[in-house]
Amino acid sequence: MEFSWPEDDARFRQALRDFLDETLPDDWEEISRHGPGSDDQSSFSRTFCARLAERGWLTQSWPAAYGGADATPWRHAILSEEMWRCGEPRGSQYMNVNWIGPTIMKYGSEDQKREHLPRISGGDVLWCQGFSEPEAGSDLVSLRTLALRDGDDYVVNGSKIWTSYVNGAELCFLLVRTDPESKRHKGITVLLAPMDAPGVEVREVPAVVGERYFHELFFRDARIPASARLGPEGEGWSVVSYALAYERVGAMRYARAGLTLDALAAAAAERGRLDDPAVQEKLGAARAAVEASRLLSYRVIDLRARGSEPTADTNIARVAGTMCENAVSNLALELFGAEALEYGTFAESYFRLAMTAGVAVGTTEINLNLIASRSLDLPHE
Amino acid sequence: MDFEPNEEQRAIALAVDNLLAQHAGPARAIELEREGSYDHALAAALTEAGFLGARLSEETGFLEAALVVEAVAKAGGVVSAAAESLVAPGVAGRSLEGPVAIARAGEDAPIRFGDHARTLLLDAGDEARVVILEPDWREPVRSNFMTPLGRIRVPEGAGESLGAGSGSRLRRWWRLALALDCLGALEAALDITVEYVKRRRQFGRAIGSFQAIQHRLAQCAVQVEATRWLCYEAAANGAPEEACAIAAAYATDTAHHVFRETHQLTGAMGYTREHDLHVFSMRLEALRVELGGTAAHRRAITRSRWAS
Repeated sequence: MEFSWPEDDARFRQALRDFLDETLPDDWEEISRHGPGSDDQSSFSRTFCARLAERGWLTQSWPAAYGGADATPWRHAILSEEMWRCGEPRGSQYMNVNWIGPTIMKYGSEDQKREHLPRISGGDVLWCQGFSEPEAGSDLVSLRTLALRDGDDYVVNGSKIWTSYVNGAELCFLLVRTDPESKRHKGITVLLAPMDAPGVEVREVPAVVGERYFHELFFRDARIPASARLGPEGEGWSVVSYALAYERVGAMRYARAGLTLDALAAAAAERGRLDDPAVQEKLGAARAAVEASRLLSYRVIDLRARGSEPTADTNIARVAGTMCENAVSNLALELFGAEALEYGTFAESYFRLAMTAGVAVGTTEINLNLIASRSLDLPHE
Repeated sequence: MDFEPNEEQRAIALAVDNLLAQHAGPARAIELEREGSYDHALAAALTEAGFLGARLSEETGFLEAALVVEAVAKAGGVVSAAAESLVAPGVAGRSLEGPVAIARAGEDAPIRFGDHARTLLLDAGDEARVVILEPDWREPVRSNFMTPLGRIRVPEGAGESLGAGSGSRLRRWWRLALALDCLGALEAALDITVEYVKRRRQFGRAIGSFQAIQHRLAQCAVQVEATRWLCYEAAANGAPEEACAIAAAYATDTAHHVFRETHQLTGAMGYTREHDLHVFSMRLEALRVELGGTAAHRRAITRSRWAS
């Protein structure tokens, strides 16, 4: 066991921070407060990711064969930490790099790899993910959106909901059922669906968590070419399991929480409240939660670096991440009081960002189920 | 960054577990508690194997010493391993004659190993002092918390000062030591409860198959895992002030949570002296009030990180 960063990783982090200082505009803080799905942040991500790509950093963790640099999972974690720390200027493109690209590498045809991977590594393509449905949330395998083969196309009917990052997205990583008789995990297929296909309609679901945060996607006889299918028909569950194993700790959200907490402590000091024992206790408790989340996320990176299969450590890290975000965002509201109720203020923006932590990418309850069965080996019955 | 034990660490863990399987365990802890004794036999066996005192940290490192302290706590050992193998070398730079107790000057509260200690590490504010104890300075305290307690009254100015600033060094290592004592007891309490709910049947099924119970144990597992890495990182990095306060705050908060949950889920059986849970759960509650308790550790985090 060893808990320090090698010198070259530390140098990389510093170079990245210097780059962020140079590249982020003066009003970035302002832009990032509207959330990653907003118009401003989406459009900024295109120029930002292209510049990150020029430096060779955007997809450094990818294999050299796909234009990456075979960077270690640790190096990739540093990138993710530094990005989340300053409010994720990659916008939705972190998904492309973290799991959409790697899943295409594993399951995609040569044509699909040629079509999608260079665009992702170039940093100017936006994707969204079409997973949840009105009747399929945590129980994702009950999804019903149907795609029936007709000649060279699939004809898709159904709807998706809670879709993030639709703003400007050209492509959707779409889960459908290709066998109408099938149940649960069987008969599911992944389509890399173009969002401009006729019969695809997008509607925003206005929500308190941010601008353009949630959407509904409607498919009405939408024709998606069969060549857009990722992996074999009916094997979509394996594809999405592979993708999700990457996604659950893809976002190093504690990094944002940690920086926010430092700012909260500074604000408390300015207001002369840092000597208040009650404030000290809450700040300390939140700091401990941030560090717990950081180390449990590192444990997952460590397992990935060893090439281990996904374990319940991923779910453990996710639950701790939610505890960390809740602790910091509760404190943000408590410290700022009624000032935190004004939209776009520092405290309000973090509160809004953090409030989906226990729901996004698998609810806390689903993670606890998986810890109980995989890690504690508790019986099903 | 590397979260897997290396060959040497694995070998140490295996050797200490073998030794503990012979000399420690909950049954032994229950027997010693009845007699009000300290486990001199276990201490002698650990010392002989090089697992008690400053030798381990000097020859290998503080992380290795921490792994041994955790293992002793997990086996319910009634020895002052954390004070002897982490705090003494961390603060005094040498072994101190055991049993070793740690206390804050000016407090009259019961302290762990207070009636058995040969040496006292005293937190006297700015400085730490090492006091060789006279037998009539100590008296036993009756307690239900499965850890031998005593009061120690030392004359003003007794013992040797470890120098200006040694007080904060003592508090750092003390916090890490008690976090590691929590960690071992947490693991044992959780393991015992997980096994219990797998076997215990009601309504025609193992109660561990109910989601209401699974979620509570899974939540405990998250916090115990976090405690582990917080402790290991702090030990490996030589007990930095903030990291030690974080380990203690998180470990003691988890201690209280796990105490409540494990007793709830083992029902009446968990309260009995025939069941092993109390050996660990009662100690968790004793540990969580030491050195000012969770609230004080949390304030220490804030002072360490943000105080100007």
